[in-house]
Amino acid sequence: MKKIIALLLALMLVFSLAACASGDTSTDTSTDTSTDTSTDTSTDTSTDAAEDTDTAEDTDTTEDTTTDASALNVGVFYYAYSDTYISSVRSALDAALEAKGIAYNDYDGNNNQATQNEQIQTAITNGCNLLIVNMVTSGSSDTAKQIMELAGDVPVIFFNRAVEEDGNEGTVLGAYENICFVGTDAPEAGHLQGQMVGEYLLANYDTVDLNGDGVISYAMFKGDEANVEAIYRTQFGVEDANAVLTEAGKPELQYFDANNTTGYQVDLGGAWSAQAALDYMNTNLSQYNEANGNMIELIICNNDNMAEGAISALNAAGYNNGEGTTTIPVFGVDATASAQQLIKDGKMTGTVKQDAEGMANAIAEVAASVGAGSNLTDGVAAAAALNADMYTVADGIANKLFVAYAPYTGE
Amino acid sequence: MANPIKNLQRTAAEYRQMDSKDQRRFWVDGILNNALYILMVIFIVYTAIRNHNFVKPGSIVNIISQAAAYLPIALGIGGCIVLTGTDLSAGRVVGLSAAVSAALLQSPDWTNKIFKFLPDLPMAAYIVIAIFAVMIVGSIVGFINGFFVAKFSLHPFIVTLATQLITYGVILLFFMIGTNNGQPLSGLSQEYKDFVTGSMLKFDGNVNVPWYVLYAVLMVIVMWFIWNKTTFGKNMFAVGSNAEAANVSGVNVFKTTVLVHTLAGLMYGLTGFVEAARISSINQSTGLNYECDAIAACVIGGVSFVGGTGKISGIVIGVFVLRIIFVALNMLSIDPNMQYIIKGLIILAACSLDMRKYLVRK
Repeated sequence: MKKIIALLLALMLVFSLAACASGDTSTDTSTDTSTDTSTDTSTDTSTDAAEDTDTAEDTDTTEDTTTDASALNVGVFYYAYSDTYISSVRSALDAALEAKGIAYNDYDGNNNQATQNEQIQTAITNGCNLLIVNMVTSGSSDTAKQIMELAGDVPVIFFNRAVEEDGNEGTVLGAYENICFVGTDAPEAGHLQGQMVGEYLLANYDTVDLNGDGVISYAMFKGDEANVEAIYRTQFGVEDANAVLTEAGKPELQYFDANNTTGYQVDLGGAWSAQAALDYMNTNLSQYNEANGNMIELIICNNDNMAEGAISALNAAGYNNGEGTTTIPVFGVDATASAQQLIKDGKMTGTVKQDAEGMANAIAEVAASVGAGSNLTDGVAAAAALNADMYTVADGIANKLFVAYAPYTGE
Repeated sequence: MANPIKNLQRTAAEYRQMDSKDQRRFWVDGILNNALYILMVIFIVYTAIRNHNFVKPGSIVNIISQAAAYLPIALGIGGCIVLTGTDLSAGRVVGLSAAVSAALLQSPDWTNKIFKFLPDLPMAAYIVIAIFAVMIVGSIVGFINGFFVAKFSLHPFIVTLATQLITYGVILLFFMIGTNNGQPLSGLSQEYKDFVTGSMLKFDGNVNVPWYVLYAVLMVIVMWFIWNKTTFGKNMFAVGSNAEAANVSGVNVFKTTVLVHTLAGLMYGLTGFVEAARISSINQSTGLNYECDAIAACVIGGVSFVGGTGKISGIVIGVFVLRIIFVALNMLSIDPNMQYIIKGLIILAACSLDMRKYLVRK
């Protein structure tokens, strides 16, 4: 009996190893040269030379492009598979890279920068010749520099999460040759959300102001205390709405809890979770409600997940149940499929769309042009040329591409 | 215990016979052993004075319903702690069963339904199916935990660490099923929401007690019965305090360990079922770190890592203490950064006071 169990366990181990190994071999076959790690530097320089000659010629035939694309061995490093938006980017990017015939490997950083750095190091020793990195520590130029040092001669496309501190633009992107960034302007989502909130309030001021005191009291749910995007969204979501309101002669928004000086409630787990928003909102509703004449009249959330949590709490209290019930306007960011449906059903008011496919297509375009032998700046220009409405190259930084956000209030 | 008044009289009589030194020790011990409860009472009174809303019916119902949501997982994990073990996979199992339950109970007209192939049965049937499904999912993971702990004498920390990772992997795969692409699962059917979060009692205008409070009460009663009135419960405590002694006295240690973990898994499954309807939008990180709060609640409530000791009533108190702290800190508008520190200090203090009892006894 014991021997049988031991045998079964051993078999399980062998199978799991085999399963992992088969994944490796499938990518290995596409690269072929990656078996020798010791000759890495030499192969790298040789590909560099090839790139140089390619750019010198400039009159590449399409035949060349395809052969070069197949020589690419791309490592795509995501900060966390569990992120809803990143999941959409992942499936879109997988499809886009496959369509261009580029071999790739996906990695899950699991929200840990140390893990991601180790994955990058391993991928490079395994012959990876283009890195696409969604950094875990958003907005840290030191982390970005460290990744560039790990990468050495291998070009790196950063995406989604900022690589430099605000006001420090160009410290990383300007310092290296083989680097570029495809992403969104971190404060933009907050600005768009704030404007959307402001405009919505101007159009519906009296309906929103439930107690008729002339001031809108709001609640703000923050996704993560330490995330740059969360900080900007929390700040500008309110500031920009106030700007719109004061311009029209209305009073500024007022945080529902006068004793709370921070002006937001944050997910203590840093997970931008619906559950955190739900627990907070239930607690808030127990003392701030229409019976007491101090109901929260507006809810702004850092993402759609938290918005859904807040809506769930409102539903239980008899709000936002569609027609015939009082609707508290709730705003999020991301435009996830379920948020779009909620907006359609009239349970949610607005969100900001971050285009996952747009992001993925831009990255794939840059990757393909690297495969075709051009440098990253040219790749960024090529991607920007795809759709002028959606993509803009940052002012003065030719290797930074912004994918536009768009306000979404239903179709 | 049968007659509390007589008991009290006896204590009083004993107290009178002590000399002054012993009398002082009696009081110091009494205060230290109950320090947590004394502190909680002071904390509640302080919060109530600072913010009257804290003791209004709406707020009390809110605390009760939040505690009800976090109770089942703590009841499950309590058994593992009695066996001197722990369970790190609990949170992820809650996440997985919440996802399973949400997937089965999305309303038929929801456009992003993950299981498009589900036949058109009445929702009530799906609710029953979902309850069985989460219980099965939870029990499977729990059984695996228990089996490896018992069969290979592995520390539960190691086994559940492994199953935590495996479960998370399964969750990630689950969310990529069909055309879902990792999107959160929402659009749950109204019947499901009514069944769990619908109003059971309504009073004072707009104060609702949701149904899941009743479910939590039922689970507490069932678990109390299992722990105190069954052979299995007695065996669990015997194995927890000394596995070898239990084995010698004819207790089937293997079976008991497996069953405790399976039962725990089943409770996580039910937590997931309630949690899905409560949050109504389930994503991959749902359930993350739930085990931390559950373990903390058990330890605060006196379920000791020493093994073999613990009461259901203690777990209930522990869950309430954590929820009261959460709500009170919010009502006092405490800076979020301070909330981590306060919560940490409370857990540390509670565990030290708990261990002190055993150190004194030795």
